[in-house]
Amino acid sequence: MPAWLRGLVPVLIAIAVLAVLQLLLGHLPFFVYLASIVGVNVILAVSLNIVNGMTGQFSIGHAGFMAVGAYTAGKLSFLLKDVAIAGLPAVVSDQVQFLGTLLAGGAAAAICGFIVGLPSLRLRGDYLAIVTLGFGEIIRVIVQNMEVFGRALGLSGIPQTSSLFAVWFCVFLVVLVARRIVGSTHGRSLWAIREDEVAAEAMGVNTTGYKVRAFVISSFFAGVAGGLFAHFVPIINPGSFTFVKSIEVVVMVVLGGLGSTTGAIVAAVILTLLPEALRTLFLQLGGLGAGVSLAQKVDQIRMPVYGILLVVLMLVRPQGLFGTREVWDLLPRWIPRARKGLT
Amino acid sequence: MSECLLQASQVGIDFGGLRALRGFDLEVRNGDLKGLIGPNGAGKTTAFNLLTGVYVPTHGEIRMCGERVNGRPPHQINHLGLARTFQNIRLFRVLSALDNVRVACLSEARPLFPRERIAALRRRAGGSSPVASMMDALNNYVDWWRALLLTPGFQEEEQEITRRADELLAVMGLSHRRNEEARNLPYGEQRRLEIARALGTRPRVLLLDEPAAGMNTREKADLMVLIRQLRDQFSLGILVIEHDMKLVMGICEDITVLDHGVTIARGAPEGVRQDPKVIEAYLGDSYLAAHGMPVPPSPSNSTSETPAP
Ligand SMILES: Nc1ncnc2c1ncn2[C@@H]1O[C@H](COP(=O)(O)OP(=O)(O)O)[C@@H](O)[C@H]1O
Ligand SMILES: [Mg+2]
Repeated sequence: MPAWLRGLVPVLIAIAVLAVLQLLLGHLPFFVYLASIVGVNVILAVSLNIVNGMTGQFSIGHAGFMAVGAYTAGKLSFLLKDVAIAGLPAVVSDQVQFLGTLLAGGAAAAICGFIVGLPSLRLRGDYLAIVTLGFGEIIRVIVQNMEVFGRALGLSGIPQTSSLFAVWFCVFLVVLVARRIVGSTHGRSLWAIREDEVAAEAMGVNTTGYKVRAFVISSFFAGVAGGLFAHFVPIINPGSFTFVKSIEVVVMVVLGGLGSTTGAIVAAVILTLLPEALRTLFLQLGGLGAGVSLAQKVDQIRMPVYGILLVVLMLVRPQGLFGTREVWDLLPRWIPRARKGLT
Repeated sequence: MSECLLQASQVGIDFGGLRALRGFDLEVRNGDLKGLIGPNGAGKTTAFNLLTGVYVPTHGEIRMCGERVNGRPPHQINHLGLARTFQNIRLFRVLSALDNVRVACLSEARPLFPRERIAALRRRAGGSSPVASMMDALNNYVDWWRALLLTPGFQEEEQEITRRADELLAVMGLSHRRNEEARNLPYGEQRRLEIARALGTRPRVLLLDEPAAGMNTREKADLMVLIRQLRDQFSLGILVIEHDMKLVMGICEDITVLDHGVTIARGAPEGVRQDPKVIEAYLGDSYLAAHGMPVPPSPSNSTSETPAP
C-alpha cells in the first residue's frame, strides 16, 4: 500500500460502514434523532477533552462555541434554502450546502476560540475558565437580543439536511483528530504541558502556541457539533446553549477520565441516554398524570444529579472511569499499531 | 579559545525586598565544565532560572550565542541551544520515559519554516518579530495537519524522532525503562531521564541543577564521570550546581561560589577551597544548619528551600 494512502484507509472504511448504517437505519426517525443527539454530545465531549483533559486547561464555555456554530450554520442554511447549485440534483446540492455551512460554523467558532484563547492562555492559572464562562454568557445574551437570530424564540425553518451519516462521520473525524494528533510527538507536547508547563517550555515547547492551537481545534469541533445540531432539531434557541449545557460537557469529560478519548465517548453516550431512558421509564411506569410530571422532573433534577455524580466520582475514582487509558491501548500487542513509536 | 556560548554580565533579580542575586557574571564556552556552589538559598537555582528565561532579570544582561535574551520566553532561549534539568525533578510524569525524551526531540522536526530562519528573523528584529511568530504558528498548524493525514514525510520524521530518543535513553542507561511511566522510575533514574530529555533538545550548553541530589556516594561518583563523558560526546558546555563540595571539586575546572546572592569566589578548585570567604560561608551558620548541626542563635538566618522551579 502506498504510504500516502495509509493515512486515508480508516476514513474510507468509516465512510463505507456509515453508508451501510445509513441505508439500514436512516429511515427510523426516532432512532436517527437519538443517535444524532448522542453523536453531537460525543463530538462536544471529545473535543473539550483535547483542551481540558489532554492539555490540562480548564474551559467551561463549550456551549458558547457550539452556539456560534449552530447559529452561523443554521442562519446560512436558512438563507440558502431556496438557492440550488446549478447543474446538481437537489439532494446533492443540499448536501453540498450543508457541508459548506458546517465548515462555516466550525470556522466561526474557531475564530472565536482564537480570540478568546490567545489572551487568556498566555497566562497561567484559571483565567481560561473565567473568560470562557463569560464568553458563553455573552454569546447567549447576543443571540437573545438580535432580531436576525430570532431573539429568545430562536431560529426555526432551518432545512433538516442532517443525517445519521453526517453526524457520525463528524464523530469519526473528531476521534481521528484526537487520536492521531495526540499520538504524535506534537500531541505528546500537549500532555507535557498538562504535566508541567515550566518543564515543557524549558524543553523548547511553545506552550502558549500549543494551548491556543488545541483550543482552536476544540472550538472548531464544538462549532461543527452546533452546526449539525441546527440541522436536525426543529428549532434552535438560546435555551439550548446555556451554562448548564457547558457544565454537562465538562461532567462528561471528567466522568470519562480527563485525557481519555474513550472515556469521553462512553461518558457522553451514558449521560445522553440516561435522561432519555429515565424519561421513557417514568412515562411507562406512572401512567399518564404522575408519569408526565415525573418525566418533566428528569430535566430539573439533572443538575443536582450531575453534582452528586461528580462528588461520588471524586471520592471513589478521582481519575474518572478510564483514567488516561484508551481502548486501543488494550488491543493485543500482535495487532500492528497505526504508527511505530506509540507506546 | 572557542567562542563564548552563554554569557551573563552583572545579572541580578529582586523578589520584592529580597535581592536573590546580584552582580552575577558567568561565561560558558564549548567544552567548559563549570561548577556553581553555595549554601542553601544562596541563589544558585535562581541563577539558572534567570539564564533559562523562567525569571526576567531586573539588572544586567544575558547573551546566548551572542544574542541578548533578556525577557525572551524560555522555549526560544532553548531553541538557541540552552537546556537544563531541575532541582526538584520535573518530568512529564504520566508520559513514558521514551515520550519524555521524544517531546524534547521535536528539535529534529523539519518544519515548513526552519527554526534557524525564524531565529535569524528574531535576531534581526532585536528580539520579537511578528513575522517570526506567524511562521512559528504556521509551522505548528501544518505539522498538525501532517499528523492528521499521516503524510509520508511525517511518518519518517516520527521514526527519526523515536530513533534519536531511543539513542539518548541508551546513552543514559535507561533503555530498559523505555515504555514505563516516568513517575514509576526510581529516583536516580528519574534524574538521568531529565538529562536525557535535556539532551533531546540538542543543546550547546547544559545546565544541571543538583543532578546527584538524593543519590548515594557510588551513584554520585558514576554520575560525575558520566557528565564528563557527555560533555565530550555531545561537545557541550556544562554548568553544574552541586551541594557536595568534594564532588564538584573533582570534576569542575572552574567554580563559582555564591552566598546570599553574591559571588564570593571564583576560580580553579584548589584556590576556591582555600578561600577564607568560602570556608566561612560553608562553615558558617547556614552550612551548619543545612547539615543538621546545632546553630548558634542568630536573627539573620533564613536558609529555607523554596519550591521555585
Ligand atoms: N519566586 C521566588 N519568589 C521569592 N523568593 C524566591 C523565589 N525564588 C527564590 N527565592 C528566594 O531566593 C533565594 C535563593 O533561592 P534559590 O536560588 O532557590 O537557592 P539555592 O541556591 O538553594 O538554589 C532564597 O532565599 C529563596 O527563598
Ligand atoms: Mg537550588
